[in-house]
Amino acid sequence: MSAAGHALALQGLTKRYGTFTAVDDVSLKVESGQFLTLLGPSGSGKTTILMCIAGFVAPTAGAVLLDGRDITALPPEKRDFGMVFQGYALFPHMTVAENVAFPLRVRRMGTAERAEKVRAALDLVQLDRFAERRPSQLSGGQQQRVALARALVFDPALLLLDEPLSALDKKLRAELQEELKALHRRVGRTFVNVTHDQEEALSLSDRVAILNHGKLVQEGAPTALYDRPRTRFVADFLGKSNFLHAAVQQGGAEAMQLAIGATPLVQRILPGAPHPAPGTKLLLSLRPEKIALLADGETADNMVEGRIATWSYLGAGFGLSVATQDLGMLRVTLPSWGAPIAPAEGLAIRLGWSASASVPVEEDAA
Amino acid sequence: MEGAHRPGPFASASAWIVAIYLVLPISIVIPVSMTDQRFLSLPQETLSLRHYATVLGSAEWLGSIAQSFWIAVASTLIAVVAGTLCAIGCWRISRRSTDLIRALMLLPIIIPSIVYAIGLYRYFARLDLLDRFAGVAIAHGVTGIPYVVITVSTALAAFDPRLEQAARGMGASLLQTLRWVILPRIAPGIASGAIFAFIHSWDELVIVLFIASRDVFTLPRRIWDGINENLDPAMAAVAVLLVLFTLLLLLLDLALRRRRDAR
Ligand SMILES: Nc1ncnc2c1ncn2[C@@H]1O[C@H](COP(=O)(O)OP(=O)(O)OP(=O)(O)O)[C@@H](O)[C@H]1O
Ligand SMILES: [Mg+2]
Repeated sequence: MSAAGHALALQGLTKRYGTFTAVDDVSLKVESGQFLTLLGPSGSGKTTILMCIAGFVAPTAGAVLLDGRDITALPPEKRDFGMVFQGYALFPHMTVAENVAFPLRVRRMGTAERAEKVRAALDLVQLDRFAERRPSQLSGGQQQRVALARALVFDPALLLLDEPLSALDKKLRAELQEELKALHRRVGRTFVNVTHDQEEALSLSDRVAILNHGKLVQEGAPTALYDRPRTRFVADFLGKSNFLHAAVQQGGAEAMQLAIGATPLVQRILPGAPHPAPGTKLLLSLRPEKIALLADGETADNMVEGRIATWSYLGAGFGLSVATQDLGMLRVTLPSWGAPIAPAEGLAIRLGWSASASVPVEEDAA
Repeated sequence: MEGAHRPGPFASASAWIVAIYLVLPISIVIPVSMTDQRFLSLPQETLSLRHYATVLGSAEWLGSIAQSFWIAVASTLIAVVAGTLCAIGCWRISRRSTDLIRALMLLPIIIPSIVYAIGLYRYFARLDLLDRFAGVAIAHGVTGIPYVVITVSTALAAFDPRLEQAARGMGASLLQTLRWVILPRIAPGIASGAIFAFIHSWDELVIVLFIASRDVFTLPRRIWDGINENLDPAMAAVAVLLVLFTLLLLLLDLALRRRRDAR
């Protein structure tokens, strides 16, 4: 169809089942050619949103816009979206080639042209040798690629993916993530992906939308979400985080002085962020890998002493739990290669982090 | 290693007794059909195939066989089309009301066929369908629907509804989805249903007794009359042919199931 992908917008999308609200007033925009991931815990409404976009679920309220046109009432077969279902939904009675040819057959494309397109699509996912097999004779990863080829073969301007990699083992998943990303770059279409795997969301997407209890909690580029989570839920769900309850001592233009018990802290204020008054209680999110081990005499904006309570070796790094006087238990990860200490339980260490390492986050509404 | 749970002697013995009980009345017909006597009896001196020759040389018997066959074909067609559409419709809509409809469709095998036949007789008289090929075909077709509904519903229960969504999501219309995705998946179920509907018509007697008299004279009807009027061993020969044919159909059904399960 068009050379670029569709732009998609959701406006106040809401879906209720009886009194239960599965999707609650979600508004989102996906630009043409972008890769958006819907991320959230199980039951947060991801599949329901995708089904609303695909047209299999009618929203209770709100609208789905495609390039500015309202398609909320359009039946699924008229939408021309490619879709990869959770579990792939390949037709078991057809060969791989017949599966991939299906959307073309539906569109009454001529046999020669059809064969040509099927070959190209199978080439794209590197399955040309398996054209005559049945889905049951393929591995999980190969089936997944057939599903992708089938969704891409008719050149849809929008591709919907419902946890396309969830059934795969870790290594294969990583491999296919790479392929999916490369594919997105090659075809230049708009992708909407659903996952509850935060690593997948971070590595694949241009934008990530985080959902919880049917609500959109935060949306943005992966780095923005990771470094500047808006709420405790986002900080916790996307990666790991320490949470510190601090009180504001003194404000400032670019940084403020905080304290937890007798420990003073410095917190940078992001441009445009509010300047809380002294006495305000703040919740800070501090990523374990942003905390460094301080050598003797070394200083940092924030410094705290503690003892290693427990530690574990993670291959690339060490995971430490450090007991501190005022901040409680702090989780810290250190690169294991060239680590200045050999971790041991009870070892006294000094930790430090910069004023911009931590970010204030909101407590989630229950 | 194999057969970790072998049946005990009691279970085996009961199974065999039941099997013999089922097969014995059928197997007695075989020697009777080869009797050298001129009345229904066991062979006295030699085995003879002359009763088979009689049957296969008689215009009446052959006519009845042909008539039964074509009625069975026509009624199978009716049962398969109506039963399949009903089962698919109920499956797609899938509400409490469709459960009721599915139950209603099973009525013909729940209600005693003699009751059914009396009802048909009254209606067919008004519609001028008595003693007509079409009348018997319709009657057998309608009473054959339950077999198709059962087998097709079973096949649909194993059908992944996401396949239908996938097809529609790729732009397939309802008809295309039906033709290319749903029907091929449930074809073995339809075939089983067709075979049972065919057998049902092939050996149905009670309804035929009520709604047909002279022009439509099916094979079971001729056997029935033959047994009532004269004890010609030709009847036994026909019965054996009937059993063989039915057996053949059941084997076909078995083979189809095998092929489906092998996939
Ligand atoms: N047909 C339905 N009737 C009632 N409730 C439903 C229905 N479909 C979904 N729900 C509910 O809506 C909520 C969101 O479901 P959804 O399938 O969108 O979750 P999800 O985010 O995709 O979860 P998962 O990661 O487990 O797939 C769930 O609590 C679910 O129980
Ligand atoms: Mg889901």
